[in-house]
Amino acid sequence: MYVIDPDNWEWVWSGNSLRFLFEGFLVNLEIALLGIVLSLIFGLMLALLRISGSKLLSIPAGIWVDVWRNLPLIFIILYLALAVPSSWREAYGNAIPDFFPEALQNELVLGALLGLILYNSAVLCEIMRSGILSLDRGQQEAAASLGLTYLQQMRFVILPQGLRRMVPATVSQLITLNKDTTLVSIIAIQEVVRHGSSLTSANFFGGVQAPILQVFIMIGFFFIVVNFLLSRLSRRLEIRERKRTGTTLKRVRGLEDQVAAETDLADPGR
Amino acid sequence: MSGLWEVLTEHLPEFSSGFFVTFRLVAVAFVIAIVVGTLVAAFRVAPVRWLNLIGGFYVETFRNIPLLVLLFIAFAGLRRAGVPISPWVAGTASLGLYTAAYIAEALRSGVFAVGKGQVDAALSLGLTYPRTLRLIVLPQAFRTVIPALGSLVIAMIKNSAIVGASLLALPDLLKEARQIQSETFQTTEVFFWAAVGYMILTLSATFAFRYFERRFEIKR
Repeated sequence: MYVIDPDNWEWVWSGNSLRFLFEGFLVNLEIALLGIVLSLIFGLMLALLRISGSKLLSIPAGIWVDVWRNLPLIFIILYLALAVPSSWREAYGNAIPDFFPEALQNELVLGALLGLILYNSAVLCEIMRSGILSLDRGQQEAAASLGLTYLQQMRFVILPQGLRRMVPATVSQLITLNKDTTLVSIIAIQEVVRHGSSLTSANFFGGVQAPILQVFIMIGFFFIVVNFLLSRLSRRLEIRERKRTGTTLKRVRGLEDQVAAETDLADPGR
Repeated sequence: MSGLWEVLTEHLPEFSSGFFVTFRLVAVAFVIAIVVGTLVAAFRVAPVRWLNLIGGFYVETFRNIPLLVLLFIAFAGLRRAGVPISPWVAGTASLGLYTAAYIAEALRSGVFAVGKGQVDAALSLGLTYPRTLRLIVLPQAFRTVIPALGSLVIAMIKNSAIVGASLLALPDLLKEARQIQSETFQTTEVFFWAAVGYMILTLSATFAFRYFERRFEIKR
């Protein structure tokens, strides 16, 4: 059979092909990691703006979030690749610290990163907001009546509880973000999809043909492993929290991009 | 340089043909996703272990692979392997099968929400397992997952842009927008109208699913 014919998999164990592919995959993981950290920070900031009492803050933040999360990510990335002025890109190239991985030093990465962050921070904002809003009103009222300032109420009472509820939804959004890093190949960043395409061009690593089907099955396998581990991690976190706090965890779901309703395999009641 | 309105009026034919390509892509992929998703969900809740395993394998595979990689496998990969697959078939099938994994998960959680007592009751009345699923469980499960289906359809509309931007080069809304942009260099104007096109699709999906939710609500 073509798919499992050993001749078609020879590229895996001959030459440096697999290593080359894996180096590309590392670029994806680096972009994903940076994107995750920044999206979480900006998402939290947007969520705080959206739930703030001032209409002057919450309405513009709401419009901002609704615009970015209703556009296709690839659309945003392509637009930014064309529209970000080259002076910004140069500034990015100069500003990024030297200890960052080499792939991220590329000026093209700016458009991709901006796109990933604009989109995912908007989605994460909605997840966090609903996590916070799902708390009982009494929590904030009690905190306020104890004399805590608004920032203290958020820091010590609201956020620790609200953010805990959004862990599963956040993790499934992060898995989506990890997959979406492949989209940056469309604006010519050298990552796993580009490396895969180069591998399949004839005689890339002396002689051994790497058939495109097998190369991309291998890439898919990389992603399956990482994303599967991420979803396991989320479940572990949840079980640990449940043991620690001794409660059944209430969860907020349904606002992530691809709603992956994790069923309650870990629930004893099931 | 022409303004925002002129860009739309001058390129209306391209914009609208791109819009309808995106619409057709989403519509066909949605049918595939619902059919396959229901089937996989039925596999996953069936009382047969090896069917569960097949269903679980399907979901974990398609949910964790990036859609772009799936498109490479389905189009370039299969063509190299000698399967003469057309871009249209590869695009709709990839988008549909990818979304099917999510729909299967959503349905499965809906099935679990129905409650074991109802299944036991149906089985004890002498219904076979497939009939129990079809007559008792699935009608209720579909109702509870309508909101989740809504956000999956919106995600699918957004993901359909990947199909046009990838190697398949279907002339969808994004592809047409890029084409017009490369002729006029009015990036912001062109992308603004394409964004309006995507917003029309996602907002109408939102309203449609909100209507279905009310329409099929179980009155208690």
